Amino acid sequence: MALFEIRGLVKRFLGVTAVDGVDLTVERGELVSLIGPNGSGKTTLFNCVTGYLPVDDGRILFRGGDVTGAPPHRIARLGVGRTFQLVSVFPRLTVLENLLVFLQQHQEESFLGRLLRTARIRRLESQALDRARSLLELVKLAHHADALAGQLSYGQRKLLAFAAALMPAPELILLDEPTAAVNPTMINQMKEHIVGLHRQGKTVLLVEHNMDVVMDISQRVVVLDHGQKIAEGPPEAIRRDPRVIEAYFGR
Amino acid sequence: MVRRLSGWFAGGAVLAAMPWLVGAAFPGQQRYILHILVFTGLFGALALSYDLVVGHVGSLSLAHPAFFGIGAYAAALLATQAGWPFLAGLGAASVCAGLAALLIGVPAFRLAEHSFAIGTLGFASVTHIVATNWVEFTHGPLCVTGIPRPEVAVGALRLKLTTVQHYYWLALVTIGLTALLYHGLTTFRLGRAFNAVRDNESLASAAGIDPLRYRMLAFVIGAALAGGIGALYAHYITVLCPEELTVALTVNLLVILFIGGVGSLRGVVVGAVLFTALPEILRVAPTWRLVIYGALLLAIVIKWPEGLDAALRRAARRPQGSA
Repeated sequence: MALFEIRGLVKRFLGVTAVDGVDLTVERGELVSLIGPNGSGKTTLFNCVTGYLPVDDGRILFRGGDVTGAPPHRIARLGVGRTFQLVSVFPRLTVLENLLVFLQQHQEESFLGRLLRTARIRRLESQALDRARSLLELVKLAHHADALAGQLSYGQRKLLAFAAALMPAPELILLDEPTAAVNPTMINQMKEHIVGLHRQGKTVLLVEHNMDVVMDISQRVVVLDHGQKIAEGPPEAIRRDPRVIEAYFGR
Repeated sequence: MVRRLSGWFAGGAVLAAMPWLVGAAFPGQQRYILHILVFTGLFGALALSYDLVVGHVGSLSLAHPAFFGIGAYAAALLATQAGWPFLAGLGAASVCAGLAALLIGVPAFRLAEHSFAIGTLGFASVTHIVATNWVEFTHGPLCVTGIPRPEVAVGALRLKLTTVQHYYWLALVTIGLTALLYHGLTTFRLGRAFNAVRDNESLASAAGIDPLRYRMLAFVIGAALAGGIGALYAHYITVLCPEELTVALTVNLLVILFIGGVGSLRGVVVGAVLFTALPEILRVAPTWRLVIYGALLLAIVIKWPEGLDAALRRAARRPQGSA
């Protein structure tokens, strides 16, 4: 059984078909990239499978269970993490709190327990703190732990958003253009982080425009054009595929 | 830690001894000053309950006076028409306001941002119109009169809160408990989840937070508190009229919140003290009262647009920064 499966996904906006019957399967532990020209439906597909947009047709399966139409917070709690293309943090929470808030909803959901701060909740909180601190070390933001997230630079916020998505240790992580608009040093840093995730056995689905990154780290590449899947295969084959070259450069 | 605790203790002692302090300092005006302090306490608590919604989940609700009014009317009518004891009426007032928030919240939270504000304003207007025109039930403009001062029986101990001194202590306990609850709700895990919803709703969903659930939670708790405070208010003034729940109250609350500092316990309390006491202090210059009030408001907004709390925090940091 595949970890994640999309069957015949269709999404229309006022008659424009943004995603047109896409099938996609991601096996446990795979690193798959989703590429395609601007407007080919990559981000729309991301938003559909994480519950942010209602789908018009098709099914989305995670660990064999149907999650089509489930709200985003429920899909997140099942173990699907995601980042956003436009950098996204909670600006008026501290860097540390930005991470903590990503784990707590996975740990418990009792209102009274939280209000009264029971021993169990305090123990979970200290576990979350340990994990948050080690992730901050990983992305080299430990010295900013108590700063407000809104005060970080663009690249730092991008790293923070990435670390936050890892807090609950999601089984599947969807990254929407993690290297867009950051400097070359940070691109390499981000690339290493993604490879690191893959080595730990995480399953990664990556939307990315930077071809060097995609060709370098992906096991499999899926190409979308006008909402349809036009090619799928290992990076070398995709690089030579005439349909892909045509989609990117025209005939 | 010890110093902080003793600081709190000393502050609490001064506040508790306020009736005697005021009596010693202004012998002729003790009742008047305590009356203003009662209002400060009740409106401070009301502002805190409002800030749970505005400052922590970022929903600009304009329905808060309606919940305050629903609580006030519930307590007033239950006490005068049905002869309910004070504590039962207080509980019922909270429950009524909380239920009203639940009913109005379900459709209102389907509206985004500004539409939400307008939707809740509509509800507040309807509440005011009902209080004015449903004469058989609310007595309309004739007001509900003869609301008794509270009487509490705990075992053999019977407390009757008849004087303004007694009510001062009740108001003090009210704002104290409200502040405690506010603190519990807005820090640690709950506060983090509320603030995440305020800062970025989509990202909060990705973190596994159900934004609607948390918005609703803050809205209903805020309304239930406002209802309870409304009940205390009704028992204090003993005459309840529909004018108590007009938009003017919303404006006052918004001034307290935004001048003091949205989303900050200290800011809201400072705002409440300043803007309940200030109009009274300015009575020394009756002709210029409103002009000075307006000018001061404008000056604060220009000088400290993020509110007094942010200004206080900066002032506290500066000596360290220059050292």
